Amino acid sequence: MREAIIEGHGLKRYYRRGSEIVKALDGVDVAIHAGEIVSVLGPSGSGKTTLINLLSCLDAPTEGTLLVGGKSVAGLAEEELVEVRRGVLGFVFQQFALLPTLTVTENVDLPLMFLGRRTNQQKTREILQTVGLSDRANHLPRELSGGQMQRVAIARALIADPRILVADEPTGNLDTTTGQSIIELFKRLAVEQGLAILLTTHNPSFGYEADRAITLQDGKIVKEDLPHGANSN
Amino acid sequence: MTDKMRTDLNVFGRYMTLSVKNLRRRPVRTGLTVAGVALAVTVAVSLGGFMLGYRGAIDKSINMLGFQVMIMAKGCPYEAATMMLKGGTGLLYLPADTYDKVKSDPEIETITPIFIGVAQKQGSSIRDDGGGSNFSIISGIDVASYRVMKPWIVFKTGAGYQGGRWFRAGSQDEVVMGFEAAEYEQRKVGDAFYASITPAGKPDPVMHQFKVVGVLDRTGTQDDGTVFLPIDVAREYFGRPDQLTILGVKLKQFNAFKMREFETRWLKLPEVQVVGLQQVKNTLVSLVGTAQTMIAAVAAIAVIVALIGVINTILMSVYERTSEIGIMKALGARRGDIFQLIWLETVMICLTGGIAGSVAAIVGSGLVERAIKAIADLGVSGSVVDITPAVIGYAVLGAVTLGFFGGLYPAWRASSMRPVEAIGRGA
Repeated sequence: MREAIIEGHGLKRYYRRGSEIVKALDGVDVAIHAGEIVSVLGPSGSGKTTLINLLSCLDAPTEGTLLVGGKSVAGLAEEELVEVRRGVLGFVFQQFALLPTLTVTENVDLPLMFLGRRTNQQKTREILQTVGLSDRANHLPRELSGGQMQRVAIARALIADPRILVADEPTGNLDTTTGQSIIELFKRLAVEQGLAILLTTHNPSFGYEADRAITLQDGKIVKEDLPHGANSN
Repeated sequence: MTDKMRTDLNVFGRYMTLSVKNLRRRPVRTGLTVAGVALAVTVAVSLGGFMLGYRGAIDKSINMLGFQVMIMAKGCPYEAATMMLKGGTGLLYLPADTYDKVKSDPEIETITPIFIGVAQKQGSSIRDDGGGSNFSIISGIDVASYRVMKPWIVFKTGAGYQGGRWFRAGSQDEVVMGFEAAEYEQRKVGDAFYASITPAGKPDPVMHQFKVVGVLDRTGTQDDGTVFLPIDVAREYFGRPDQLTILGVKLKQFNAFKMREFETRWLKLPEVQVVGLQQVKNTLVSLVGTAQTMIAAVAAIAVIVALIGVINTILMSVYERTSEIGIMKALGARRGDIFQLIWLETVMICLTGGIAGSVAAIVGSGLVERAIKAIADLGVSGSVVDITPAVIGYAVLGAVTLGFFGGLYPAWRASSMRPVEAIGRGA
């Protein structure tokens, strides 16, 4: 069995809204392994984003155990969680979240600045080639299409050599054809680079292209499918 | 340079680039904030330049008098000193024999008697003053002792000024003109100069025609605006043959103790006061000090307003970029990284404002000088605004310090954001 990069057991995330307790996530067990694509499906408010926020150490669970690389992250302070995230997790957001004043290359290199690493032009070029944007290196985000911007965001997530790519609704702002091309890119990255990919989506057809599709409802896993058979795990 | 240092420099350079690009996203807002800082710095630099320049001008004016002590008729010593420095009216006189009494003092190195009077330039000027100054400061001097007191005085040379010299002994109709007096009247060597002098006790002025026998080179002092006559001639024309205005004294040893001794010796003379020019200098500085304090208060308010503007701008920028900051944290930024980024933006605004304000102060210094001189009679001639590299350095350093402290709160706010909330708030 492949190594689990992230494991969550009995994950709960409760919020207080006035006098009411909102159970955004209510006892979820999940594990993400190297080289697999896991999609999280479910309607709005089902807990998809909450789950990936917990799994990517952006938020802390109210209850439950979370292991990253086999080590528990329970009780870690925010600055310690940053250290866990650095180098392990890469992020892709629905809104692309590119800095508008930076060129494609500068956006891609941004995480290196926070990691205190020097830029490596060759590596940046290679990653841009991987995502199919070699000819857009010096363009600004406003000069790109939605699909191209999302590819820049993926390149940015890849630059720090993460072990898992976390993508929250990466196709949410894209048309079907462009969304499909992003899913194809994910599949290629998983196969060629052994990258684990955790993504949320509203679109079941994209979700079922993953190795594993988890369906959430009211903060609980109601279904877990292996669309391509048992070989995925 | 080690590899680690090169990496750190590379990373810092990228932080700088990102900060600059962030500021350029809102050029109008950034520009206005920079302008606010620049305005405060302009005021501060101009004030600093004025404080420095005014002290320098007083020092120069007093040092160029050539003497350290003045003996004059009792009255307001500072008014008399101001008159000596810049020229003026309301003169008091002391008996001429005071000179004979004082000159024998063993502590005196040099002494020179000066008689000052004010003459009307009626009918002499080729200019139509249109309400401007129609008076000339006439200074009656003893050339021999005056030259010893002011060895730096030389005659202007060049076309129209050749052969400049002091008046001949016994000459009744020769004048030497200071640089500005000659320029203003457009007189050269050999030209005629007319002055209308009202002798003391007489109702009507008497017109005198003089020949300009020399024009002095610029000294940057009150001498530039003065017309010189032999002391006996001046006293005669002003109808005060037995009077003097000032005795300028240079002591062999000048210190507070010797000054006190000298003062005690000669205060015994009736109607005489002894004034040390250091004392005059201090008083002039303190008189303007009040005005300077007020201007400093205005500058301080400008600085506070600029600081509030800077904090407000950066806070707005942080608020607008909440989601972006959350994403940067998700991408691996620590609190310190976000703090550094926001803090750099603040410092850059203040640094740019500091440089722009300093340049504005340098460019506008002439205007400031004219404005100050138009508003107040400072009692000195020459430039009173002196913007030195040190003043600029302190101003820019002050602006950066402003940014250093002004950036703390917005940077702290930004760095304290929890990524999951920041990303969610921007969505």
